[in-house]
Amino acid sequence: MKKFILLLVLVLSTLMVFSEEVITLNLIEAFSSPWRTPTLNKIIEMFETLNPGVKINVISPPYETAYQKINLMISTEQPLDIVEIGDWNLSTLASMGKLEDLTSYINSWSEKDDLIDGVLEAASIYNNKPYLLPHGIFVKTLFYRPDILEKYGINTFPKTMQEMYDMAKKLTESNKNQFGFDFRGKGYPTSFIDIVVTSFFDDIDPNNMYLTKSEKIIFEDPRAIEALNFYVSLYKDTAPKDSINWGWDEQVNSFVSGITPLLFQDPDTTGMLNEMIPGKYKTAPLPLGISGKTYPSFGFVGWGIPNYSKHKDLAWKFIKFVSSAEINGYWSKAYGALPILKSVYEYDSYFSSDIFKGWRDMFNSEHYQFTQYPLDNENWGKWNEFQEKTMQQVLLGKLSVEKCLKEWTDFWKDAGLGK
Amino acid sequence: MKNKSFILIMILPTLILISFIILYPTISGVLLSFKNYSLFNFGNIKWIGFENYNEIFSDIFYIDVIWNTIKWIFFSVFFQLILGFILALLMKEPFKGRGIYAGLVFYPWAVSGFAIGLIWSWLLNGQFGVINDILMKFGIIKKSINFLSDPSIALYSVILVNIWYGIPFFAIMILAALQSIPNSLYEAAEIDGAGYFTKLIKITIPYIKPTLINTVLLRIIWVMNFPDIIYGMTRGGPAGSTEILSVKMINTVFYESNYSLAAAHGVIIVLILLIYTIMYLKLTSKKEFNI
Repeated sequence: MKKFILLLVLVLSTLMVFSEEVITLNLIEAFSSPWRTPTLNKIIEMFETLNPGVKINVISPPYETAYQKINLMISTEQPLDIVEIGDWNLSTLASMGKLEDLTSYINSWSEKDDLIDGVLEAASIYNNKPYLLPHGIFVKTLFYRPDILEKYGINTFPKTMQEMYDMAKKLTESNKNQFGFDFRGKGYPTSFIDIVVTSFFDDIDPNNMYLTKSEKIIFEDPRAIEALNFYVSLYKDTAPKDSINWGWDEQVNSFVSGITPLLFQDPDTTGMLNEMIPGKYKTAPLPLGISGKTYPSFGFVGWGIPNYSKHKDLAWKFIKFVSSAEINGYWSKAYGALPILKSVYEYDSYFSSDIFKGWRDMFNSEHYQFTQYPLDNENWGKWNEFQEKTMQQVLLGKLSVEKCLKEWTDFWKDAGLGK
Repeated sequence: MKNKSFILIMILPTLILISFIILYPTISGVLLSFKNYSLFNFGNIKWIGFENYNEIFSDIFYIDVIWNTIKWIFFSVFFQLILGFILALLMKEPFKGRGIYAGLVFYPWAVSGFAIGLIWSWLLNGQFGVINDILMKFGIIKKSINFLSDPSIALYSVILVNIWYGIPFFAIMILAALQSIPNSLYEAAEIDGAGYFTKLIKITIPYIKPTLINTVLLRIIWVMNFPDIIYGMTRGGPAGSTEILSVKMINTVFYESNYSLAAAHGVIIVLILLIYTIMYLKLTSKKEFNI
């Protein structure tokens, strides 16, 4: 009898375990990488442990084709519950009418007031509604190698663009394979060019980086000629000629090997640098232009919910979990993006170390004005390739600065920008 | 009549299968090229006639792309053929370790073109590339060569890698053809006093001529549609100096997310290849190439 009861209990408990409904949420990430995806999987494991009966299925398309895959999956309403959205494809997805407005979810979120200033506004670029909750912020800053600079008797970092040019020129000894500046020629060099060009202006429209406050396209302004000439000098006098063909990988490699000790990059570079050259680099605010200002763009990436998802509340529960102070701190530290919550910068000393000085100083200075790209313009997609190709032609001396600026101006006029 | 119906029934499954896997994508690709299907137009997809084609032909860079494609095909195939032929001749006669040697020769063929491109982009890097390092250590050059960033040599650098990548294909094809030549032909020629080059010109080449022609003509199609190495090495840069038609098509998808414009690029490639294939079929059907 005892054996029979024991068997019955075993059978019933087994049946209960297997009869419990398991809800599977489909999550697609946009920035898969060997550095980041394992961290995401660990966070998912924690969430699943805390929420028995919930399983998260991760889809990790290759980085290069992720946006295309996400856009197509959402447009054809394939089963997705949590989707990673970047600032560059937010308008596209939102304009399809396939994203859930997260306003009510965010308003009821207890950590809402801890969000750093500007995050929600930046995420609400489409119809002033937050269709995603950012999990990381991207702002470029100046990375530098004090150990290399010291060899040249330099004990500080450049505060202005002109100082940076002078310093980089002093460092450049091409016969010794030593250069000053870590140049980016391919693979979306847009923000790199624009940081330099707009720093020659003091009246950039905060809502559109390519317009002045008087709604004039910046490329038809005489200051743009001076700015682009400066950019060309930076390449010719201080950077390896090969860098016209460099993307992120080559840039970081060159910085790590010390060939180019000055670099403009996003915070996700820190993850790799901490592994490869721990303690050997610092960050400083982006150098100021002759206008006394610099206009970095405020990039972000976050999680959204397709409005056709059958498990919206559960999806929000996961997003809320990922965005909590503890998890956001862990995520940002491993991944490298800037945390979205103020408290993370306070409770974790890592974010008050020298590694983050560049961003802290920029956030606290009136000389830095964050602006936005015309991401919702229909011609935005074409712009990156066009700007890259024409800029490369200028750097190679095949196109004059004036002709290039005329082409850029015409491009944006055709796209409906400016007066 | 009965016989005809039977044949039709027997080939019907094949026809249906071909329709699904070839005809449908081809037709939908052609139709797509006349629409405005792009990332920013999901809500307003419509028929726009020849606008995509107009855009392509009014692109000031397009003529450079065509010229690059011609150079890419000609130099790649020409040197792949010559070097593949030499390799096949070297491997024709048995020798100790031929298996290992053949494995090494055919190794590039086993790796993905994109991975090859990435590996070579690092090897040819102007600052920390191994190739520059070796050339400098041997005193061949005094200053680093910017293989991939100097527009005057970038295209030839990617062609060089493509030649390296494609040699095994020719070597395999030609080796197979060489092994089918009866030894008696060479023996008879030797009795008549023929030397190595006479045998090569009078026996070897005429005998494998059909294989050579077929391989070259097929290879031209593959090379034209092979963006992998260029994409891994330069993405078509700097300033479009390594951009060929198939890379242009990929860039249109990745950079612009304009699927209809990319489809129009694809249709142009297909049309070029269609004309080429007709010429190819006419050429290969001539009796003079058959032994």
